[in-house]
Amino acid sequence: MHALLALLLIIFLAKVFGELVERAGFPSILGEIAAGIVFGLLFLRPESDVLLFFSELGAIFLLFTAGYKEINLRELKTASRTALIPTISQVLLAFSFGFLIGRIFDFSQMASLFIGVAFSITSIGVSVRTLIDLNYLSKKIGSTMLASAILDDLIGIFMLTVVISIATYQQIPSGMEILVIAVRMICFIAIMTVLGRGVFPVLFTYIHRMRVKESIFAFVVVVALFSAYLAEAFGLHAVIGAFIGGVCLSSVPLAKIEDVQSKVSGIAYGIFIPIFFAFIGLSVDLVAMQTAGLFTLLVIVMALSGKLIGGFIGARIAGFDSYDSLIFGAGVMPRAGIELVVIAAGMEIGIIDDEIFSAIVLMIAISVIVTPVLLKFAIKLKETRITPESEAQQA
Amino acid sequence: MVVDYTKIGVAEIMTRDVVTVIEETTIEDLLELFGTYHYHSYPVVTETGELSGIISEDIVLEILLFDRLPASGHTHLSAVRSLGDDASGIMMPYPVTVSPDTSLSETADLMLRHRVDRVCVTDSGKLIGILSKRDIVNEICKRRD
Repeated sequence: MHALLALLLIIFLAKVFGELVERAGFPSILGEIAAGIVFGLLFLRPESDVLLFFSELGAIFLLFTAGYKEINLRELKTASRTALIPTISQVLLAFSFGFLIGRIFDFSQMASLFIGVAFSITSIGVSVRTLIDLNYLSKKIGSTMLASAILDDLIGIFMLTVVISIATYQQIPSGMEILVIAVRMICFIAIMTVLGRGVFPVLFTYIHRMRVKESIFAFVVVVALFSAYLAEAFGLHAVIGAFIGGVCLSSVPLAKIEDVQSKVSGIAYGIFIPIFFAFIGLSVDLVAMQTAGLFTLLVIVMALSGKLIGGFIGARIAGFDSYDSLIFGAGVMPRAGIELVVIAAGMEIGIIDDEIFSAIVLMIAISVIVTPVLLKFAIKLKETRITPESEAQQA
Repeated sequence: MVVDYTKIGVAEIMTRDVVTVIEETTIEDLLELFGTYHYHSYPVVTETGELSGIISEDIVLEILLFDRLPASGHTHLSAVRSLGDDASGIMMPYPVTVSPDTSLSETADLMLRHRVDRVCVTDSGKLIGILSKRDIVNEICKRRD
């Protein structure tokens, strides 16, 4: 198939399916993945380097915009104060469940680590809608869930960094190798910190005076690609570099002009990111999913219960009652964007096979569908069990 | 006479009496402010007068209509903002600033090319004025007369 035709069909299907799914009350990511699956069924798997390249750019821009637009460094302090224990608990248990299931099914240690990381990260968007509908976002447990999602993302990206770095050794590395990895990471972060604090703010004061069109927008994209490239040069994955590049630009006023943000968002969410999600759908092997029935089922059950139980325990330790802890556990269950980046990276370096990949994609889809139902159930449970009288007694 | 706008500094024409809010200003007080004045945005300053952010009509609209936005609009940041109970919790940090000696033509160029409606004028981090597109147009019209 001609690359142009493949691209236009992928974007068209991703947007149409995304809209349909969004209108049905679910996040558009499900529709975009479905678009890829349908595309694969209709046209088989086109071996297109162009699609692969665009999909890689999608993963880079997904993480870049997460750092550039969504991370507010001031928030981190508050978040870590309120949500550290529940976050560590749910991440730890979800990771352990993921690693365990990998080992039970005789996958390599590296593949099991990847499954663990893919289990660990939460995507809070789905829960936010339910919390708003049931007027729970502004309650203490709602804000703790939001705070937890910030920490969760950062812990997840850190885990991805570590796992990808050690994946290059194809086995658990020795002490010396771990030291080399740590030094590389520290060097990369140090360079990016210097650039973010000292170089980028000055650079953009010159860039905005340039006479060529869209200079600021172009240089924001340049920083995204540069940080992704630099990360690879340091043996890290491009998406991690893109995320850190985004964080570095998030406090540069000229790089964050609304018009520029809107353009970056336009190419990211309008083109590259839907292609990435559709490419995930395209890479799903339906036959492998069917043949690995038990494994797929266990991936879904363990991934959801890891977050639910881990979140419940963590929230209880942090002082919430059982009902609120159940709400917390249910609210941190959904997975979406970054998890897909994790498995795409694992597949790219040959650690994750079709079976694991397809099972995790299905788990992500199920988590997005099941979470609102379970979250509503947990909230209703609290409201029916805690009557106004008992609430007054507690107070 | 041809006016050389590169020789006019923003300090000459900026609005000096800026209506500002402090970081602790409550959302209720902010909404009242938007009802009282016709300004599109309000700079947020610290107790020592340093500029820490800006609150625009867009942010206020986003907060007021948050529960009616489609799910795709519920980003993590907008959800956190919707829970903010004071100016520092909802403001956009790192607003675009210029120094008082920046020329009028350079500032106008920045506003036009990057669709910035107003810029805060700061001196060593402290807010000393604000300049909108309207201020520039008024000044140019005045000088043409």
